[in-house]
Amino acid sequence: MRPTQEASAGTEDRSDALVRVRPAGRLTVSVRTRTGPMYEEHIASLVRQALRGYGVDGAHVEVGEEGAYDHVILARLEAALARSLGSEELFRSALPVVDRTPTSRSRLRRSRLYVPGGGARLLAFADSFGPDCLLLDLEDAVALPEKDSARFLVRRVLATMDFGRTELWVRINPLDAGGADDLALVVGSRPHGICLPKAEDPAQVLALADLLASLEEAYSVPWPLWIMPIIESPRGVLAAADIARAAERVACLAFGAEDYTREVGARRSWETLLWARSQLVASAKASGVQASDTVYPNVEDEEGLRDEAQRARDLGFDGKGVIHPLQIGIVHGAFAPSAEEVAWARGAVEAAVAAAKEGRGVVAYQGRMIDRPVLERAKRILAQVGEGSDAD
Amino acid sequence: MPTNALGREIPEEVAGRTLRPYQGAFVTIPAGRRAGGPLKTIRPGADKVAPSLEEAIRRSGLRDGMTISFHHSFRDGDRLVLPVVDACARLGIGDLRLFPTALFPCHEPLVRYIQEGVLTRIEGSLNGPIGAFVSQGGKLKEPPILRSHGGRWRAVACGEVGIDVAFIAASEADPYGNANGINGPHACGPISFSVIDSWCADHVVVVTDHLVPYPAVPPTIEQGYVDQVVVVDQVGDPAGIVTGTLRVTRSPTQLKIADLAVRAVEAAGLVRNGMGFQAGAGGISLAAQEILARRMKATGVRAAFAIGGTTRYLVAMLNEGLVGTILDGQAFDEEAIVSHRTNPRHQPMTPGFYADYNSLGCATYLLDFAFLGGTEVDLEFNVNVNTHSDGQLLHGIGGHQDVASGAGVTVITLPTLRGRVPMIRDQVTTVTTPGEVIDLVVTERGIAVNPRRADLAADLRRAGLPVRTLAEMKEEAERLVGAGKKPLFGDEIVGVIQWRDGTVIDVVRKVEGWQ
Repeated sequence: MRPTQEASAGTEDRSDALVRVRPAGRLTVSVRTRTGPMYEEHIASLVRQALRGYGVDGAHVEVGEEGAYDHVILARLEAALARSLGSEELFRSALPVVDRTPTSRSRLRRSRLYVPGGGARLLAFADSFGPDCLLLDLEDAVALPEKDSARFLVRRVLATMDFGRTELWVRINPLDAGGADDLALVVGSRPHGICLPKAEDPAQVLALADLLASLEEAYSVPWPLWIMPIIESPRGVLAAADIARAAERVACLAFGAEDYTREVGARRSWETLLWARSQLVASAKASGVQASDTVYPNVEDEEGLRDEAQRARDLGFDGKGVIHPLQIGIVHGAFAPSAEEVAWARGAVEAAVAAAKEGRGVVAYQGRMIDRPVLERAKRILAQVGEGSDAD
Repeated sequence: MPTNALGREIPEEVAGRTLRPYQGAFVTIPAGRRAGGPLKTIRPGADKVAPSLEEAIRRSGLRDGMTISFHHSFRDGDRLVLPVVDACARLGIGDLRLFPTALFPCHEPLVRYIQEGVLTRIEGSLNGPIGAFVSQGGKLKEPPILRSHGGRWRAVACGEVGIDVAFIAASEADPYGNANGINGPHACGPISFSVIDSWCADHVVVVTDHLVPYPAVPPTIEQGYVDQVVVVDQVGDPAGIVTGTLRVTRSPTQLKIADLAVRAVEAAGLVRNGMGFQAGAGGISLAAQEILARRMKATGVRAAFAIGGTTRYLVAMLNEGLVGTILDGQAFDEEAIVSHRTNPRHQPMTPGFYADYNSLGCATYLLDFAFLGGTEVDLEFNVNVNTHSDGQLLHGIGGHQDVASGAGVTVITLPTLRGRVPMIRDQVTTVTTPGEVIDLVVTERGIAVNPRRADLAADLRRAGLPVRTLAEMKEEAERLVGAGKKPLFGDEIVGVIQWRDGTVIDVVRKVEGWQ
């Protein structure tokens, strides 16, 4: 196969690569790398191998890299090829994916870190930040002309990087504005879940769930992807309970205060958003899903973040969005259980273990029945302080 | 070829100089007496002021083959090295050995004087363009010898390096030769690097653009050691002191590393009243210092002292009472210069006070912990600060060896990847500082603890910090980029890396190819 149009993708920014594809009768690859002879041949053979894998036997490919990792170079190559071919169809196949285990619906989700999916620089170290949830963002953080290129990058990042215990999410574009194309590329790279922006209607969630089911089958993804609807409009807040209940896959409702505030015409403060937050928490909890608070936009203001995170926790949220890795520790601190809660959780788990040994079905602790959701909550508390099983 | 204690091949001699192989961080026992300059006298009424730099050089008796020395307190704003070398060229003096305390990108024009044979030897840090030029090999009569700040002081003080003429840039001086760097329109901060040069050189020329009536105070350089005083238009540009690296980073990865580094020393119980610490001037070290300041403020901890190079961040800690005294070898920005001039708790310090191996006291030995950088680290915890993984000799040692060997806990902070080049290697390209004196390596992927510090590993684990091995972190990084080719080194030696005691810890060889 031979591309017929010249096309390029990527940038000359740090950690990125600019890949240009030109029509040619045979395959030639030229590499310009900051590392000189250290990686020149390595990159050339990486690119040749990928081109052969895609059945491209005629093209001139130029790679200029500024510290890009292998998978970034490949993602830029794929985006350039797709642009040249005018179709992403060729790339809707599974990549070899790094070992990854599924997560439970009720896992610990204190922090959800947004990382823009389009830029290679912030993604370069995204595997080291250690939030509970990492959100690779294809929506607001990506400019319209780069939407395609970003989904190729996120696809490769997810397939390649080992994020340890972090739960991986992709925030797609709205389904009628590129979201379906996003899914077609990223689901095969096995994220744990999909964030649905601007959720206002249970039908959106159902549509996403259907799409996911068919893609999971096509890609043989060994677990169902979770859905995290992002509630960021007054309509969404009013429909929150229906949205949370729309599909079994919904694991968590997230609040997006920026858009909500703008649409309502409110000024952002704790008081002005209190009703929406309360409504969101109640809707989530009534539906048996978690609730995650909006981001705190001022990265410099650690005290403000700590205060807002503590209030969110007191209100019943399970976690909070963060936009900078240094906010993670502060949020985890705010969502840490109190000493009394830890003592209670220890007692409850011990009682359950004892009851199981004695073959008793009913467990009571401190005069209260410990049913399954209560036991899970206790285990989650212990996981937060590093006791018991892991964060899942 | 003989190897030193780290297994590095060190020739017995190079260009006629015998090399003593490194044996260990604290093995060498010095012998002999201190060196000093020749005895001289003058009579009342003598005039030391020379009419021009050229005339001063003529009067100094500088001849072919001699050694000239400089300090680097103006850093990239230096305006003395080039004019002196240029004047020497005009006077027909060549084959000189340049012995600066450091060189900077502004000294790139020296390349021409090397090509013309005005300079045939360099001893001192080779930063940037000069390093890249010298790395090509065949440029100098003898390979440059690189020393740490403390190592250079030692080399002069014990007579290992004889200085024929010391040129000392001073932002203020009087006609009798008293000189300092803290007053005058182009103040640069302490010029105490030159104190040993003034004591030991055969001839001392103070160069200033701000001549004041006697006495110029404080007399960092004293009249009794100064032969001549020259007035020039501008001796240096303080704007060149601040270079790009001297800012707190905004990079999340670097901030994360800095944060982990601070948590590590906290977990080790070192952040406590009365402590002493040093943070380098790289982005991560500065960030660590700023995070440390916040923690200290929150917990009410006060440090007894901190060692500079000083930036405004450290000055702020002094002014807020978080640090009792700054012991300062060099100023890295305007705030540091002003603080040094106005705050008596901001004390200048010579490299001898700081870190002379042949002495009965080094300030670095009293450090509880220090944050340092590196270009590479290897599985034995050896650190490279001189060369890059492509074999290019691009950086000086600075105080790296001095601080690392002195501090109770030495923390190396670096990312696992710079661009796509892995920073954790099986073996560093060049050993600057041996793993023997490194305690922790902190990357964005976790903290590696030197196996000889099992106590620290326990502290860190107890605090829930991510203790990893260097091998694990290396593997994770290489998974993203591959291992890459390594430079193939030839026989030609383009640089000699001294340990601070004068032994040779490594040599830099010319790159001949790639494998």
